[in-house]
This record gives sequence, structure tokens and C-alpha cells, in this order.
Amino acid sequence: MEDSNGRKFQKDLNGGLVGLVLLAVLAQSDHDLYGYEIAKRLANANEGTSIFKEGTIYPVLRALSAGNLLTSRIVPSYSGPPRRYYRITEQGRAVLAEWQLIWRDTRDFVDRFTETEILSIGPSS
Amino acid sequence: MNRSAPRSIDQYLRQLREELAGADSALIQDALYDSEEYLRAEVAAHPEKSESDVLELIASTYGAPDEVADAYRDTEVKVKAAMATPRKVPESALGRFFGIFLDPRAYVSLFFMLLCLATGIIYFVFAVAGLSLSLGLSVLIIGVPFFLMFITIGRAVSLAEGRLIEAMTGVRMPRRPVYQGSALGFWARIGAMLRDRRTWTTIAYFISMLPIGIFYFVIAVAGLSVSLSFVALPIAVALSHAGWLGVGANEVFLNAQPEWIFDSGLAIPILGVAGVLLLTSLMHLARGVGRLHAMYAKSMLVARTAPNAPESSQAAAPLAAR
Repeated sequence: MEDSNGRKFQKDLNGGLVGLVLLAVLAQSDHDLYGYEIAKRLANANEGTSIFKEGTIYPVLRALSAGNLLTSRIVPSYSGPPRRYYRITEQGRAVLAEWQLIWRDTRDFVDRFTETEILSIGPSS
Repeated sequence: MNRSAPRSIDQYLRQLREELAGADSALIQDALYDSEEYLRAEVAAHPEKSESDVLELIASTYGAPDEVADAYRDTEVKVKAAMATPRKVPESALGRFFGIFLDPRAYVSLFFMLLCLATGIIYFVFAVAGLSLSLGLSVLIIGVPFFLMFITIGRAVSLAEGRLIEAMTGVRMPRRPVYQGSALGFWARIGAMLRDRRTWTTIAYFISMLPIGIFYFVIAVAGLSVSLSFVALPIAVALSHAGWLGVGANEVFLNAQPEWIFDSGLAIPILGVAGVLLLTSLMHLARGVGRLHAMYAKSMLVARTAPNAPESSQAAAPLAAR
């Protein structure tokens, strides 16, 4: 029960965050990335704890692409189906900057409450 | 629902397809394509492990089929909600009837009807030439690669047609091609293409697009010219009475046939109104045709369930192809 509560909370949180992270990864990259590459970068940064499943980034990539925040091109691959390489657009960068501000504000706001919470609970438990 | 964890890429994709059962067929095609890209890349990235060993960990990295299916369904709903511009639907019947002029879909559908003649001719020539050349060349060795090329181009064209139709009508069409599986051998792949129902329905669609395109084109052109000339009639008469239509314009209407229309004062405004009604009906018709055509295209171009990879390919993961 505890676990499924946590999972649901994480899933709700991820709704918009995956898009933000994907935009940030593509904005930092100096070359185009394809789905698997992005998934691996995130997995490596993750170090074992699975914040989100790699399978969930593909539909988000497609949604961002449909919203003109990313462009993509297809390159044939030996190991499987042709790969779709993504690149962030100018519009995508603008949206990313906006989202980053929103995220920073949100994080600070949430921190203001949750950090003290942990401190007060911490010693007693 | 705890079923056995998939131990091969084919099993994984089959389970994912089952999880997505009932979802939009175009969404299923996209989800399978993305997953296959990831899984094949993951297997290729771990040459020291067997396919089943890699698949064992997949639920904790990529996600189990049911999680991935959920992700696609959720994202699709959100994107659809975000992309759809909320349109105010007028309450009254009259408002709904004339509200069609505010619906961009009606205009694009009308344009699509005109465009269909051109694309219909191209598709028809492509399909007939490709089929007959494939058949004729099949006695020679180049017949086989020619047929392969014909089908491959046909699939690309059908994907493009799907994108066009989605842009016009908003009906979800695939954004990724169907991936046939590189594990298959050359001959197995040709066999699979010949057995695949979609190969033949795609060709049938291309051929049917010529008569359909002619039909659409005639309706659109006839409807537009008749209704627009009716609409223009009272304007032209008014202008000519005001003497703005050039010298002698009054004579044009004096001699205009049939006389009973141009002699009575009432007939011309009535014709004008009829033109407006006709034009509005044509817009409704165009939007309806767009929807119907999208349904038809979807049934012909998108596999109801993506083709099943033959069981024999299970062991032959394309590790060697790195």
C-alpha cells in the first residue's frame, strides 16, 4: 500500500517534469540525440533509483515534437528500427527557460515547507 | 494481473500490444515502434548478455508492458487536450448550420477534395505501374528487389498520406512506420510482405484513390462554382444597375437566360440566398467527406493489429549486425 502510494505520487509529479528534463537534456547536448541515448543519459544520472521508467520518455518526446518544441529526423540503424534523432527548437528553448523559472519557484516554495518538516521530525524518530 | 515477465523482445512487444488492446491503432503502432527501438538497442548494448537476460531487467529500467502502455495512453490524452483549440459550439440550429464557416476543418477538407484528384492520379499510376512491373519482372531476378522497393516506397507514401489526413481531419494516424523486424531474412521478409493483409489493402487504397479523387474533385468544383455564382449573382446585378460593372453590363442581364429569372425582381435575391445555403451545405458535406475518408484511409492503411513477427525470428536477435 505504502509503495503504490509512493508510486502514484511519483507518477503525478513526473507528469510535467519529464518534459522539462527532456528539454533540458536536449538543450545541453551539442548534437542530436535519439530516444535510447536520452534514456541512458537519464538512467546514468539516476544511479539506480528509478525516478521514472525509461519507457515513459518516448511518448513525451513525441508530444514535445508535436508541439514544435523539438524537431526530429530519422536515421537508419543496424540494431533495430530506424532511429529518430531529436533536436530542440528555438521555441523549445524559450519554453524551457520559462519552465525552468516555474520549476525554480515551485521548488523553493515546496522546500520552504517540506525542509522544516523533515528537520522537526528528524530528531524525534 | 501478474503474468509471466517477457523473456524476449517479441514476447515483450506482444504483451505491450495486448495491454494496448482497444487503444487507437495508430497509437499502438507508434508504441510498438518506440519500444522495439529501445529494446533492440538495449540488447545490442549488452553483447555479453543473452536477450532473455536483458529482458529480465527491462521492467525496472524501461518499464513493464503495462506501465509503458499507461504512459502512452496518458500522454495521448494530455496532448490531445492541449492541442485541441476549444471551439465554441453555437447553441441554435441556425448557428450550428452557419458555424461551419468558422471550422478550419471544413476548409481543409474542401481543399483535400480538390487535391485528391492530383494525389489520386499519382497513387494510381504508382500502384498500377509498380504492380504490373513487379509481375512482369518476376520471371527475372530483378523482379524481387523491384517488388521490395515498390512495397517499401508504398509504405512510405502511405505514412505520408496518413500524416496529410491527420493534418486535415484530426483523425489520429501513425507517426511511425511499421517496423518489420530486421531479424528476418531476405526471403522471409518478402514472404511476410506478401502475407501481410495491409500490403494489399494499401495497394487497393492507392488504386481506389483515382476514382475517389475524380468524384471528390467533381463534387467540389461543381458545388463551388454553382454556389459561388449564385452568391455572386445579386451582387453582379446590383453592381451593373449602379453602372459599376462596365459599359453595357445592363445588356448582359437583359439577354440573360432563362428570362423568367432575370425578368422578375424576386428571383435573383432568392437565387442568392440559395447560393449561400448551397455553399454552407457544401462546407458541411466537405467536412463529412473528410471524416469518412479518414475512416476509410485508416481501415486500409493502418494494420488493425501490427503484424506478428514470426516465432522463428525469436532467437535471431540482430546482434551480429552491430
